[in-house]
Amino acid sequence: MSEDLPTAVQIKNLTKTFPVPFKKEKVVAVDNLSLSVMPGEVYGLIGPNGSGKSTTMKVLLGLISATSGSSSVFGMSSTETASRGSVGFLPENPYFYKYLTGAETIAFYGKLCGLKRKVIKERTSELLNLVELEGARDRRLAGYSKGMLQRIGLAQALVGRPKLVVLDEPTAGVDPAGSRKIRDLIMQLKDQGITVILSSHLLEQVQEVCDRVGIIFEGKLVREGSLKTLIEIEDQTEIVLENAGSDLLKKITDLINQENGVNLIRSGRPRTTLETLFLKETGGESKDVRNES
Amino acid sequence: MTVENNEPIDNELNSKFKLFSPSRVMAIAMNTFTQLVRMKVFYFLLIFSVLIIGANVLFLNFTFEQELKILQDVSFGAMTLFASIFSIVGTALLIPKDIEDRTLYSILTKPVPRFEYLIGKLLGILFLVAVSLVLMSILFFAVLFFRQHGILAEEINQMRGQPTAEQISSLKENIFAQGLRLELINGVVAVFLKAAVAAAIALVVSTFASSTLFTIIVSLVIYFIGHAQSMALDYYFPEGDMHGAFQRFIAGIVAIIFPNLQIFNVVDGIVSGQSVPMSLMFRLTGLTGFYLFIYSFVSWVLFAKKEL
Repeated sequence: MSEDLPTAVQIKNLTKTFPVPFKKEKVVAVDNLSLSVMPGEVYGLIGPNGSGKSTTMKVLLGLISATSGSSSVFGMSSTETASRGSVGFLPENPYFYKYLTGAETIAFYGKLCGLKRKVIKERTSELLNLVELEGARDRRLAGYSKGMLQRIGLAQALVGRPKLVVLDEPTAGVDPAGSRKIRDLIMQLKDQGITVILSSHLLEQVQEVCDRVGIIFEGKLVREGSLKTLIEIEDQTEIVLENAGSDLLKKITDLINQENGVNLIRSGRPRTTLETLFLKETGGESKDVRNES
Repeated sequence: MTVENNEPIDNELNSKFKLFSPSRVMAIAMNTFTQLVRMKVFYFLLIFSVLIIGANVLFLNFTFEQELKILQDVSFGAMTLFASIFSIVGTALLIPKDIEDRTLYSILTKPVPRFEYLIGKLLGILFLVAVSLVLMSILFFAVLFFRQHGILAEEINQMRGQPTAEQISSLKENIFAQGLRLELINGVVAVFLKAAVAAAIALVVSTFASSTLFTIIVSLVIYFIGHAQSMALDYYFPEGDMHGAFQRFIAGIVAIIFPNLQIFNVVDGIVSGQSVPMSLMFRLTGLTGFYLFIYSFVSWVLFAKKEL
C-alpha cells in the first residue's frame, strides 16, 4: 500500500433508498455506509442476502445513483464514466451474449475498453490461457457450463488491465476445483498489486484471501477491520504439534492444570477441510493445504 | 492459472477516456448485428422468395401491366413488413433483454457512456434492416428483370405474323416502363427510412418499458397511429384554421409523439408509375434524421439515470 496513491475505493456516508410502488415509505437498502479500500488490498464484503452488498457495488460501478453520500474509484467519482476505465467487474451469475464465442466475447469487451485490434488479439489469447478456456475459444457461450461462464466473466473483467477488480460471488455455482482456481487467481491479482473487492457467501474463501473484511447487515456496516484482528480470539492460544507422543501430551496437560485460571478448552487431532480432501482425491491442485482444527 | 504482468496498456486507460468514441459505438453496433444474424433472422429471405415467386405464379392470367404491378406491390409490401418487424421487434427484443439478463451490467461497467450504448444498438438494428433490404431488393429486381423479359417473349409470341422491329421496340418500351427501373430504388430507400423511424420509436419505448412484449405493443400502436396522424391532424386542425399558438403547440407535440409515417408511403405511387421528385426524397431523409435525433435524445434522457 502506498501513501502517495489515492484510496482505491472511497465510499462516504452512502445511503440508497428505493421507492415502494403505491406507498409513501421507502426501502433503505444502504444506510449511511462509509468504507475505504487501499490500493493493492483484497477487501471482503460479506453479509446475508438483501443486506445491501450488491447495491453498494452498483453505486460504486455507476449502475445506480446514491440517494445521498458519495463513492469514488481512485479519486474519481463513480458517477463519471471515466472512472470505469480502471475497473473490472464480474457480476453474480454473469450472463453474456451466448451467441458469441469465448474469443469474441473477450474481444468485444476489449473494444469497449478502447484497446487496439492488435492488443485485443494478444490479450484474448493471454486471458483464455489464464482462465484455462483456450480449448473452448471458438465455442459459443451457449455451450459453456456455469463454471466456464464464470471464468470467461473473469477474463472479460481483466481485459482492460484494471487496477480495481470487483467480484460479486465469483464462485457461485462453481465446483470446488474451479472455486480453488478462482481463489488462486485472486491471490495472484493481489501479488500484482491489483485491488480486489470480493463479495461472497463462502466465508471460508473470504477468510483465505482477504486482508480486510466489512460485514454489512441491514444496509449498515456493522464491523470492519483486518481479518486477523476481527477473527482472533484474544484470550485463547492455539499450539499445533507434529509427531507428539501421548507422554508429552500428558505432561503438557498436567502443566496446564497446575496453572491457576488457565483452562484447556480442546485438544485432539486437527481436521483437514472437505475441500482439501476433495481436491486431493480428485487430483485437483491446491496451493494451500491448510489444516483446520 | 497465472496472472501475467498487469502493466497498464498504453498507460492509464481512464486518462485516455473519450467522451464519445466511434469505435465503441461500432463495437456495440456490430455486436447487435451479429446477434441478430446468429438468431437466424435471414431465414425470412426464404419467405420473401416464396412470396414473390408465388406472386409470379398465381397471377399469370392477368395482363402484363397487372402482373408487374402485383409483383411490385407484393414485393414492396413484404419489404415494408419485414423491415418494420426487424426494426420494432429487433429493438424491443435486444435492449430489454440486455436489462433482464443483466448483460448490460458488464457493458456499462466498462468505460461506455449510456448514450453510446443506445446509439450502438440503434445503428446495429439499422445496419441489419439495410442489409436485409439490399438482399430483398436483389431478389426482387432479379425476379422483375427475368419476368419482364419473359413477358416480352410471351407477348411477341402471341403477336400475329412477324412483328416489325418498331412494334417490338414499342412493346419493349411499354413493358420495361412498368418493370425494372431506377425509380424503384427510391421506393426501397423510403421503406428503409420508415423502418429507421420505427426503430427509433421502439428505442424510446424500450428505455422505460419493463418487458419486450410491452415495448413491441406500444411501438406498434405508435407505428399504426403514425399512419393516421396526418389525417387526424387535418381533421382537428384544418390547414386554414391553425391560427392559435396552442393549436400549433398541440399539433407539434402530436407530430413528435406520433410521427407522420404516411408521408413515407411513396411506393404506391412508384408502383403505379408515378415519379418521385428528388426534393421529396431529400425531405423524407431530413425528416428521418430529425426523428432519429429527437428520439435518440429522448431515449438518452430517459436512460441516463435509469436504475439498473
